Amino acid sequence: MKAIQIEKLKKVYPVVKGYRELLFHPFRRKGITALRGIDLEVEPSQCFCLMGPNGAGKTTLIKILSTLVLPDEGNVIINGHDLKINTDEVKKHIGFALSEERSFYWRLTGLQNLDFFAALNGIPLSHRREKIQEVLNLVGLENAAERRFNTYSTGMRQMMAIARALLTDPDILFVDEPTRSLDPVAAQNIRNFLRKDMVENHKKTVFWATHDLSEAQEFAHTIAVIAQGQIRDKGSVSDLTEQGKISLQKVYKKAVEES
Amino acid sequence: MNTLIQKLFAFLKRDFLEEASYKFSFVTSFVGIFLSSATFFFISKLISPNSDSVLDPYGGDYFSFVIIGIAFSGLLAMFQERLPAVIRQAQITGTLEAILVSRTSIPVILFGSSLYYFLFSVVSTVFHLVLAVIVFGMQVEQINWLGALATFFLTAVCFLSIGILSACFILVYKKGNPFSWIYGSVSGLLGGVFFPIKVLPGWIKWISYLLPITYSLEGLRKSIITSSSFSEILPSILALSVFAGIFFPLSLYTFRLALKKAKKDGTLTHY
Repeated sequence: MKAIQIEKLKKVYPVVKGYRELLFHPFRRKGITALRGIDLEVEPSQCFCLMGPNGAGKTTLIKILSTLVLPDEGNVIINGHDLKINTDEVKKHIGFALSEERSFYWRLTGLQNLDFFAALNGIPLSHRREKIQEVLNLVGLENAAERRFNTYSTGMRQMMAIARALLTDPDILFVDEPTRSLDPVAAQNIRNFLRKDMVENHKKTVFWATHDLSEAQEFAHTIAVIAQGQIRDKGSVSDLTEQGKISLQKVYKKAVEES
Repeated sequence: MNTLIQKLFAFLKRDFLEEASYKFSFVTSFVGIFLSSATFFFISKLISPNSDSVLDPYGGDYFSFVIIGIAFSGLLAMFQERLPAVIRQAQITGTLEAILVSRTSIPVILFGSSLYYFLFSVVSTVFHLVLAVIVFGMQVEQINWLGALATFFLTAVCFLSIGILSACFILVYKKGNPFSWIYGSVSGLLGGVFFPIKVLPGWIKWISYLLPITYSLEGLRKSIITSSSFSEILPSILALSVFAGIFFPLSLYTFRLALKKAKKDGTLTHY
């Protein structure tokens, strides 16, 4: 069974009208196409990188897969469950680490934040402390748990977002540009953690959106290049680069320019 | 059931920890209650009781009348302002997405998000009344507890529904919430908070009868001040039941639609 199967996925966002247009053409519909019929399959226990420039549709795709945005057309099957029909079941299999590390309560400690989200995910009180400790140990934040979230560094906040996503022990982890605005050491820690701990040790599927080529080349089993809302190329690093004959940068550039 | 209680408790704990971390604001809200009670106590000195007064059905004492009005209208203000504010803050910070991706249903999110503020509001209302009785000598005979609790419960359901409808506007339009205007200003003026609706001109009185707060305050005043029997309070309870029966399912349905629209437009975290 595939971890993720996507068929002909389309998404058009409505454009907010100005006063003039609202007055003269109140019923005219305008939209920005974010996804133009995405077809994609992701194998389980893989590190899958979705690579593309800004505005390519990476975040839209990840948010649709995480049940936060509704698609206009197409089908998504996650671990055998239809996203449209069985949203609650899909939620049991996914974890979403938002790139927006502000999505925590800053005046609460890391522990209090995780406790809140663990409760919302139905983790019983009797197991909660143990589960929180487990994910804190995994992301290396066990010593900072009692500190207020507003004292955390950007890297720690990002790790905390991953820890929150892991509370439910999901099979598939969505991460949207997790190394954005991190220093090189913190970024490398997150990459190692996702690839080695999550994929290799815990056999999870990591669906990773990035626009960092070196990151994708070093850590992904499979890369898909998205541009203008379409998948332009997909394969393993060696397939895409023809066993290293051409650089990934050239492959990426060609795919993006063709769109 | 156990999971549901744990989820509600998690919301309660989150909001308590957040609010308690702003210690000064916590204390000033109670000082504010004292000051408003004192203000109306001295205003009430200007209104001397006379026979055939519009205050007769409420025991004839303006201070008792107005204290019930301001104490319980605070509950409306809480639902109407806090629930949309909580949703808006969650939109701005991104916590709304983190909550929605969790395995918690919409009604639990809405009820949980207002639970702390509801309980705080109940404490404030009780503080208002205790202060009025102990410090300012408000006359309370025998309270009709059954009537008061039934009216209070239905009032809370009605006001929660209004808060949810307000939150729908925030979810879709981000700002400009007509419910806040309609129920905030109009309820204060026409709902019988500061004066009995009997003094209003006939042509405007009918608007008062369309506001749940009118029946809430009527029922609560009769239960607390004049110790009316349950059958005397029944018309208010029936009217509130009709409002609650219409508003509550409507508000949940509307919130689902608003959430669907925000998810379709991709604007859950836009502000």
